[in-house]
Formats: sequence, C-alpha cells, structure tokens
Amino acid sequence: MMYHLPLLTSSEFATYLLNGISQGMIIFLVASGLTLIFGLIGLINFAHGALVALGGYGTLLIADATGSFWLGLFGAIALVALLGLVLERSVLHRVYERPLLGFLGTFGMYVVIEELISFQFGDQARQIASPLPGYVSFMGATYPKHRLLIIAIGFAVALGIGALLSYTRLGMEIHATATESETAEILGVDSARVYTLTFVIGAALAALAGGLTGPVTSVSPGMGMSYMILAFLVIIVGGMGSFKGSFLVSLIVGQITAFGWLFLQPTYVRLGVFVAAMVFILYKPRGFFGKPEVFE
Amino acid sequence: MSAVAELRRYFTETKRWLLVPVLLLAILPLVTEQYFLSIATQAIILGLFAISVDIALGYVGLFTLAPAAFFGIGAYSVAKLVVDYGSSYWLGFPAAIVLAVVIAVLIGYGPIKRRIGLVYFVLFTLAFGVLVHDFTYATTWLTGGSNGLGYLTAPTLFGIDLSRTVPYYYFALLAVVVVAGLLYWLLSSDYGDVLHATRQNEVRMRYLGYDTDREKLIAWVLSATVSSIAGALYVATVNVASPSLMAFSLTGEVTIWVVIGGLGTFFGPFLAAFGLTIFESYLGAVLPEGYLLILGALFIVFVFVLPDGLVGLLQRWRDGE
Repeated sequence: MMYHLPLLTSSEFATYLLNGISQGMIIFLVASGLTLIFGLIGLINFAHGALVALGGYGTLLIADATGSFWLGLFGAIALVALLGLVLERSVLHRVYERPLLGFLGTFGMYVVIEELISFQFGDQARQIASPLPGYVSFMGATYPKHRLLIIAIGFAVALGIGALLSYTRLGMEIHATATESETAEILGVDSARVYTLTFVIGAALAALAGGLTGPVTSVSPGMGMSYMILAFLVIIVGGMGSFKGSFLVSLIVGQITAFGWLFLQPTYVRLGVFVAAMVFILYKPRGFFGKPEVFE
Repeated sequence: MSAVAELRRYFTETKRWLLVPVLLLAILPLVTEQYFLSIATQAIILGLFAISVDIALGYVGLFTLAPAAFFGIGAYSVAKLVVDYGSSYWLGFPAAIVLAVVIAVLIGYGPIKRRIGLVYFVLFTLAFGVLVHDFTYATTWLTGGSNGLGYLTAPTLFGIDLSRTVPYYYFALLAVVVVAGLLYWLLSSDYGDVLHATRQNEVRMRYLGYDTDREKLIAWVLSATVSSIAGALYVATVNVASPSLMAFSLTGEVTIWVVIGGLGTFFGPFLAAFGLTIFESYLGAVLPEGYLLILGALFIVFVFVLPDGLVGLLQRWRDGE
C-alpha cells in the first residue's frame, strides 16, 4: 500500500533521523564483528546472529539478577567473548582453509545456540529495562534517552575499533595477516593469536549489539537472524572486510529504513535493500570500500 | 559360485538393489496406520527435495541458500491455481515447473556467468531466499500474506480419491520414484561425471573444452525445478500454502539433511531427509522442541567429524571389511 508523502515537521524529521541513526548503529555493531572476522579469516560466521541473541539474553538475566543493566551488559559481553574464545580454539580454527565447512559448522552452531535459548526461555519476546529511562526534548520533539545512548556507544565503538585497527600494534598485525599471512608470520606475527583475538573481539561486538538493542526492540531467540541478514548485506555493499564501509553503509541503511516507511510499507523497504544488495554482489562485489586482495 | 555370492552380485553389480527400498516403501501402507503414513508421505517428498538440493550443493558445489524459495514457489503455484482461480490441480504442476525454470534462469544466470565466488554466491542466494519469503508475506493480495492460500486437497483421478491418505501416499511415491529415477539416470550418465569434474577442477574442465558455465546453469535450473516439483507435491499434504514453506528454517533443515546424508551421493540426502522427518514426528510426542536442537548438534558432529556424511560412513565401513 502506498502512503501519501506527508509534510514533515522539524520535530518529526529529527525523530526519524535519530531513529535511523540508532537503528544504523545496532546494524553497524553486528556488521562490524562480521566484517572483522570475514575480512581477516574469510569465514562467513553464521553463528554471529546467535551470539547477538546470547548477548541479549545474558544482559537480561544478569540485569534481572543484579538489578544493574551495566553489570548485565558487561557480564554478557565477557561471557560471549569467552564462548567465542572456546569455539574458535576448539573447532573453528581447524576449518579456516575450508570455507564451506566453516560456513556449515557455524551454521550448525547458530541452530544449536538459538534452539537452546528457545528451549530454555521460550519463544516469546522479553523486554530489558533501560538504564536510562525517560525522554529528552529538543526541537519540539521528545526522544527516548536510551536511543541516544545507543548512538553514543555506537560512535564510541566505531572510533575505538577504528583507532585499534589504525594505530595499535594489534591493528597492524591484523592488517598484515589479512593481506599476507605467511609474510606476516616470517616477520614475527603470531597469526593464530591474531585470528583468535579478532574472533573474540567480533563475538564481544555481537554481544554488545544484542544487549544494547534489548530495551528498544526486546530480546527473542531469533533476534540475531534478522539483524545478521541485514548486516551481511551491509558488509557486501560497504565492501567485504572494510570497517569504514560497514560503518557508512549501516548508517545509510538505518536512514533508509527510518524514512523509507513514509513512502512504503517497512517490508517493501527491506525488499528494496535486498534487491540492492543482490545487484551489488553481481556488479560491484567489492562494494564501496572493499580491497581487491580481500576474498573473492 | 555360491548362492549368496550370486545374490550379492545380482544386487550390487547392477542397480537392482534399488528395487529393495522402493518395494519396502510400496508395502508400507499395509503395515502402518494412517497417521504414520501421512508423515511418511511428507518424508518421501522431502527426500526428493533433499535430492534436488544435493544436485546444486553436492554435484556442482553451488552453495545455495534459496532452496526453500523454490520449494515454496512450487507449493504456491498449485495453491494459487486451485484456490484462487479454481482451476485443475494438475495444471499446478506444469505451472510450478515453468515458473521455477524462469525464475531459476533469471536468478542464476548472472551469478554463474560472472563466476562470483562461493561466499558471494551464498550471500546472493541468501538475499534471494529472504526476498521471496518477505515478498510472499507482504503481498497479501497475491499470496494471502501470513494466512497463506488454502484450503486445498488433491482431486479424484480415475475414480481414486487422492485426498485420502493411502492413495496420496502411492501417488507421491510414484511421482518421487519417477522424478528421482530420471534424475538418477541423468546423473549416472556422462553429464553427472561432467558435474563432478567441474566441481573438482573447473579450470581444467574449461581447458578440455567444456562450457562449465552452461553445465552449472543447467544443473542449477534442474535443482530449482525439482525443488519446485517437491513443493507442488507437498502442498496437498498440508492443505495450505503458507510462508513457512519458504522460511529460512526449511532451507537450513534441507542443508542439514544433505550434509548428514553425504554431499553428492544422491541417496544419502534422501535417506537422511526421510529418516530425520520420521524421527521428528516420533520425537514430537516426547520432546516437542528438541528436534532442531538434536538436528543442529548432529549436524555439527557430521561437519567436523564425518564430512562425508552417512554414505561416506557406510563406504568406509564396507571398505574396512
């Protein structure tokens, strides 16, 4: 069904804009973990969506038990990062040379984790209480504080990971291993350690996304899947393995979903995003910022 | 030559051993009750679906995440014609085949011609699969949206009421045996060897003068078409074509069946799909939510420990003797 294009007041415009940014930030947090793991290891990590859901449920449970959202969020991040470490060290590092097995294996992990959550907590969505309830008003609009918090954390993480990749020794080692792992090893980089650390960082980002989005969208066993599909498409359009690309494209997709429904039903907006991603895969597989050496 | 050796030769050197499972399936209605038979009907149809996915995944190595989309296209073709246009049930099958061929060519031509890598093919078909599912969900005027298209049953043919359990079981068995038989005949021919060789070393096949893009496209269209036929057969067993028939979870399940059965082994995926569907119905009585959990755990074991699947396991056991 088509909607008429209404004239937006400035407060409505600000609300949509901020909705788009906060939505984009969640997508970015999911996509950044995926793109780090993909860019370095070449692994399509299907278990990522399950880690997002685990982050959400971990935050919910610890926050319920202790009464502190922050304790819940950081506890969930630590636990999911630990799980990432265990998964990577126990099985995943064996299949890096075989992308098909890696994809299938992480897909199996996704199914098991999601079903375990659904088995334990049921399928119904559950809400997490925000640490910052209430609203702020500006430009005539009232806006939930929690979404502003998401935006702030999203930007902080983007800057932090960007700095990590550009200015630290670990960042250099990640770049070196992604480009020429053998040469990097000759020069003294412990590539196994770099792989493990990257996977753990990716898992922690997934948990952060799941916990942060809980108060806005609620948590359910399948919550990771819809974000992950969108995130996959974001990292294609942004350029596989490009951190900057996934940040920019996440924000663009966030704005498209926020403003798109003024013209079209949300589902049709989603359809448009998928079609765009398919066209990109065919005609511009490196996206906007992808580098040629990254996996074809 | 002893009688046992003679018998073994009779069954193994020719393909006559295939008659055994077919005969077992044929006498199944005589020894089971109605409820089990309706599950068995779905299980053999899903077995055909698994074979169709094995053509793309196992034979040519095209890792598709869109099989449920084609399964659903088949189911909706039949349901749309019967429910909304009141036309004949039988018209649904050619419609399902034509629609699947057209869409498969449209979707497959670009990625296969441009030779995009494994990762991109996975994501391309993932996007297509989700697209088809969301489209079906959103276009209520065309597909009935979340309610789906129902209610439909199989018609009467030559005085036999196919909407009853036993006749539909035999109808589905006949259809599956005919389609799977044709596929097996095709894939046992040189064409099957070309596909296996293309998967193993595509560059060398091109040097040998094979148009590998064409062979892959043919296999892709074949796979999609058989998926669609399976969907068209399936819809009469559930009476409603609903978006769940194209959901990602079905794609996940069929991928798991194919890997557990053994990639590129034809019978393995059928066996795994059949066995696990029956297992699901038994488990449903004891532990209703445990099926996917067990399936996922089993899948992980197969991927990391037994990547050759059930058939590989059998072969290893036979060779070890």
